[in-house]
Amino acid sequence: MNIPIGWKYLAIFIPSVLGLIGLLVLIRFAWKKGTEYVTPRPTLSRPLSIGGAALGIVAALMPWATFVLNEGAYPDKSTLQFFDSPWAVSGFRLHTLLLSLVALAVVFAPIRKHRIHKALGWSLIGIALINAAFIAGNGGGFGAITSDGSSFAFGAVIGLVAGIALVFSGKAGPVEPIPHLSTDVSRVVAYAVLVVSFTALLLGVAMMLNAGGQGGVGNPYAGPIFLSLLAFFAGVLGALHAVGVTGWISRLSDKHKWFSIVVLLAVALGLPFTEAGTDYWMTTATNIGVYAATAIGLNIVVGLAGLLDLGYVAFLGIGAFVAANFSGAAAAKMGFELPFLVAVIIAAIVAGVFGAVVGSPTLRVRGDYLAIVTLAFGEIFKKSAQNDIGGLTGGANAIPGVPPINWFGLSFDKPLEIAGVKLPSGVMYYVLIIVLVALVMVVFANLKNSRIGRSWIAIREDEDAARAMGIKTGKAKILAFLIGATLAGVAGAVFAHKTSTVAYDSFQFIESVTLLAAVILGGMGSIPGAVLGAALLLVLPEKLREFADYRLILFGFALILIMRFRPQGLVPDKHRRAELANEGAEGVPIEELNLPDDTPGGAKAQVAR
Amino acid sequence: MATLLQQLINGLVLGGLIALIALGYTMVYGIIQLINFAHGEVFMVGGFASLATYSYFIPESWRSDWWVALPLMALGGALVAVILAVIMERFAYRPLRNAPRLAPLITALGVSVVLKEAVRLFYPGATAPVPFPRVFVDEQYTFEIFDGTITIGSTAILMIAVSVIGAVVLQTYITKSRMGRAMRATAQDPDTARLMGVNPNRTIVLTFVIGAALAGIAGVLYGIQITNVDTEVGFLYGIFAFTAAVLGGVGSIKGAVIGGFAIGLIKSLAGQYFPGGTQYDLVWIFVLLIVVLVFRPQGLFGEPERVRA
Repeated sequence: MNIPIGWKYLAIFIPSVLGLIGLLVLIRFAWKKGTEYVTPRPTLSRPLSIGGAALGIVAALMPWATFVLNEGAYPDKSTLQFFDSPWAVSGFRLHTLLLSLVALAVVFAPIRKHRIHKALGWSLIGIALINAAFIAGNGGGFGAITSDGSSFAFGAVIGLVAGIALVFSGKAGPVEPIPHLSTDVSRVVAYAVLVVSFTALLLGVAMMLNAGGQGGVGNPYAGPIFLSLLAFFAGVLGALHAVGVTGWISRLSDKHKWFSIVVLLAVALGLPFTEAGTDYWMTTATNIGVYAATAIGLNIVVGLAGLLDLGYVAFLGIGAFVAANFSGAAAAKMGFELPFLVAVIIAAIVAGVFGAVVGSPTLRVRGDYLAIVTLAFGEIFKKSAQNDIGGLTGGANAIPGVPPINWFGLSFDKPLEIAGVKLPSGVMYYVLIIVLVALVMVVFANLKNSRIGRSWIAIREDEDAARAMGIKTGKAKILAFLIGATLAGVAGAVFAHKTSTVAYDSFQFIESVTLLAAVILGGMGSIPGAVLGAALLLVLPEKLREFADYRLILFGFALILIMRFRPQGLVPDKHRRAELANEGAEGVPIEELNLPDDTPGGAKAQVAR
Repeated sequence: MATLLQQLINGLVLGGLIALIALGYTMVYGIIQLINFAHGEVFMVGGFASLATYSYFIPESWRSDWWVALPLMALGGALVAVILAVIMERFAYRPLRNAPRLAPLITALGVSVVLKEAVRLFYPGATAPVPFPRVFVDEQYTFEIFDGTITIGSTAILMIAVSVIGAVVLQTYITKSRMGRAMRATAQDPDTARLMGVNPNRTIVLTFVIGAALAGIAGVLYGIQITNVDTEVGFLYGIFAFTAAVLGGVGSIKGAVIGGFAIGLIKSLAGQYFPGGTQYDLVWIFVLLIVVLVFRPQGLFGEPERVRA
């Protein structure tokens, strides 16, 4: 009798899974023992850090692969050269060199250095691991990063060792407090610092977007180049955080709020002038803007009012379909064209009305049941749009040929030339969406600090208590849905003109999940969080085309892991931070407060309350 | 008249399937107030696992005998579903048991996306519906009645029988057995149950296991009835089953079964008689879901929800 093939796979699969689990347990055990062994010796700190930094410099100067990976013209050799020219240091080797030099300089500088070394060390580990994995994966295994025949290339391995040494040197010392730099500086200095840091942010973002080209088949190296650069930036930011600079800048920008907003807006509008000013990135950035505006709208409902909405993308869809129908497209139900601004207003109103309708069950339904109600509304929308309800959505044929926005003879999909600088096509959409996102952010910020915003937060915290305090909870909740949906409707109108084809399948359940993931990843109730979340969720798949198929499964894991380990998100809202992360009053994690006792009802428990 | 009867039968068959899935929802919700959003995907995975059992694990000479192949497939489907449920309870839901109430729901959403995508990406050919083998006896019984004929397939009879028997056995287990009593105790008050010597963690895992096993079996039945499995069905049937559980009253076994049959009947009758036909039959179910949640969230057989401190 033939044994079916599945059993053979199972016979390999089960031992390998068990082996993998065993290996992970072993690594964890070894790491724990290793850190325990090194940590109690502060005297080791200095030699470890000097040694790590020196090794890092050696790693940067050594070849990283035993073969020449990219002999072709594109991608540029300068970014990913592995072996051919050991002394031409650029790309990730330049990053390694920079990080190591900084680490070495810090050893002899009179500042608190453990945190800095830890950040730089992790960054080195990241760069070494990413590139080693890539080289080994593409060049035939372990030999490619060690030695193969006559050639040797221990760069990645030495870089890894250097990183580990730096991390251990950081762990060897006591946990140092982050320096608290004073914000009492003159206005000129503050403004200069803000302008410089935001411009640096812009250049960093542009560099990251363009790292290794646009990804995909054209450039198989885009993924590792991008990730490696990301690791480098993370190290730099970590080091800056360790010396207290990032905290200082964020406090400065808090202090000079309006100036920062203006600079940030100017900086955002400057993106088309940088190296990322291509058609491709303009389109992606516009999509990010649409998602960000919608995510901020969702943030009102989920983040502020605490009402989970699982069908939110329907409002984006309603806005898009309304705008498409008034756009003069051939398939539109309305036979006439309205000016874009009028169409936007109608789209916003219609979406807002639907928002109020969807929100009306909140009067009676709470919590997770409400989430299911919104999900049902989202599915009803999708099903109706799919069936071309009333001839308004085009069904499976969609509404094609929505014309681009045209203001004063300026068609938005054409390239632009200002003062001799050629700007990519789609730049006008980018400008429009930046302005829109800025407006939405202002609306959100004002709402949040207003009476209605405070009542939303009160409802989120405890609905019964809020009602007892005299808040009209029903009205407030419906208003949350209404305003959120209106914002989504506006974004949808822009979306319709930008993509030119509005189809029901752009507005499915999974898009709602994506929006929710953006809000949760960024941090519920946090404005920059929603924008950052949307940007991450749209940029990462573009840069990591190798993993494009795995986009959704990674979203899923992201949702699970964030809820488990960082429910407050990447850029937590200040209120939210204190509640969700079990942190002390000043937003400092309890473990870092260095409080003396762990007993129940002791100092830590006091702070936790 | 014959059309009506035929649609009633179709509805009952669909309802049996929905009821099997709804049992898992209702039990888990009853015990830890979690909408296990991923339960529909567990059902879908069960279908694929039973298909894999057939294609890769059962020797070819055994495949022709349904009384050998079908139980083995059901076993395979249920086993994989149970393993999944235990893993997700342990690593996704248990750490969040005292978290704000929306957190586990979002996690469940994530689990559901992960399961669906994992099958789509890693099961050979699962990007499109995968044909399911016709393992069960494929008889069609035709009856002459009034003005026409009605047809009942053998798989349809099996489906209804399994769901009813499953529900009766489950109801008996929960009301009569020791573990069943532990479950009810944990559902009422986990802390007091712990004081009475019940291990709440073990009880909760058992609840997940039973629900997942039923969903896995439902996956096999879906396969032999529809003759294919698709990654999309998890979400859809998950919603159906959830609606059924809510309609019957979450936490109630009887309610889940009656709710399941009700949903099945509504879908098949709405597809036949309501405006819009089958294009809009799902919309009617969603409308029903909203109406029930708004006006009678405790469902037909449930108790009004206590406000939890």
